[in-house]
Amino acid sequence: MLTRIFDSTTLKGMEKALDGAALRQKVIANNIANVDTPNYKAVEVTFEDQLRRALEKEVTGGLGLKTTHPRHISVDEEGSTVFNMEPQIRTVKGTSYRNDKNNVDIDREMAKNSENELYYNAVIRALNDEFKLLRTAITGR
Amino acid sequence: MSFLRGIDIAASGMTAQRLRMDVIANNLANAETTRTSKGGPYRRQMVIFEERKDANKSFQEALGRELKIGSGVRVKSIVEDSAPLRRVYDPSHPDADPEGYVNYPNVNVVEEMVDMIAATRSYEANVTVIGSIKNMTMKALDIGR
Repeated sequence: MLTRIFDSTTLKGMEKALDGAALRQKVIANNIANVDTPNYKAVEVTFEDQLRRALEKEVTGGLGLKTTHPRHISVDEEGSTVFNMEPQIRTVKGTSYRNDKNNVDIDREMAKNSENELYYNAVIRALNDEFKLLRTAITGR
Repeated sequence: MSFLRGIDIAASGMTAQRLRMDVIANNLANAETTRTSKGGPYRRQMVIFEERKDANKSFQEALGRELKIGSGVRVKSIVEDSAPLRRVYDPSHPDADPEGYVNYPNVNVVEEMVDMIAATRSYEANVTVIGSIKNMTMKALDIGR
């Protein structure tokens, strides 16, 4: 019973979103700290697309074929579910922003910093609302 | 304290920019210095930044994704600028050579002022990041309240 409340896809999805945003914040901090480091290449974190695909699969059941035996061929484009998805960390190679081969765009990083902060706060608000629903269901008021 | 590592990363940026600012201040203060302890005029100093790799990271961090994101910046070394010195004709100066020229430091005051503004802005960017992380952490503490 409790597992069904606390391991729900909604809570897990929001938890993954918070984890991803927290990791991204560290990466942005590292990019900004290294804005004047020669040869440093910016790093990016992406997880929203995977999370969305994983959540869609949860809702629609996915378009992939059901496998009932380990030797069946799976046609899932990605095996990740909401419960095991991991954020992707990617180094932006091949570009140079300045002569010292650094490619950190400070304006972009500052914008991403604010955006990520807002995103994190928005997810926390949604999470709190979800808990409020549960509390209403438990106490009846 | 995994979440607060972001603050540590931004703080490393602040430390590095502050050291850069100290070096700039020293360059400006010594813009006319013709005598140093190792002889000859003062030479402009520069900081070399490099990515900081944490040597003492925990086993779990070394295994996991924390390894990939780096942990800030550090000043690798302070080096002297090998650019030619500024030669000014001033025969009455005690440090003038036989032809009457004085070797002044290779410090360009305008360049130092521009560097100073750049260091200030980078410092401010790191401060902003710390503000964001603090705000996010405070919000996270309110989950379920």
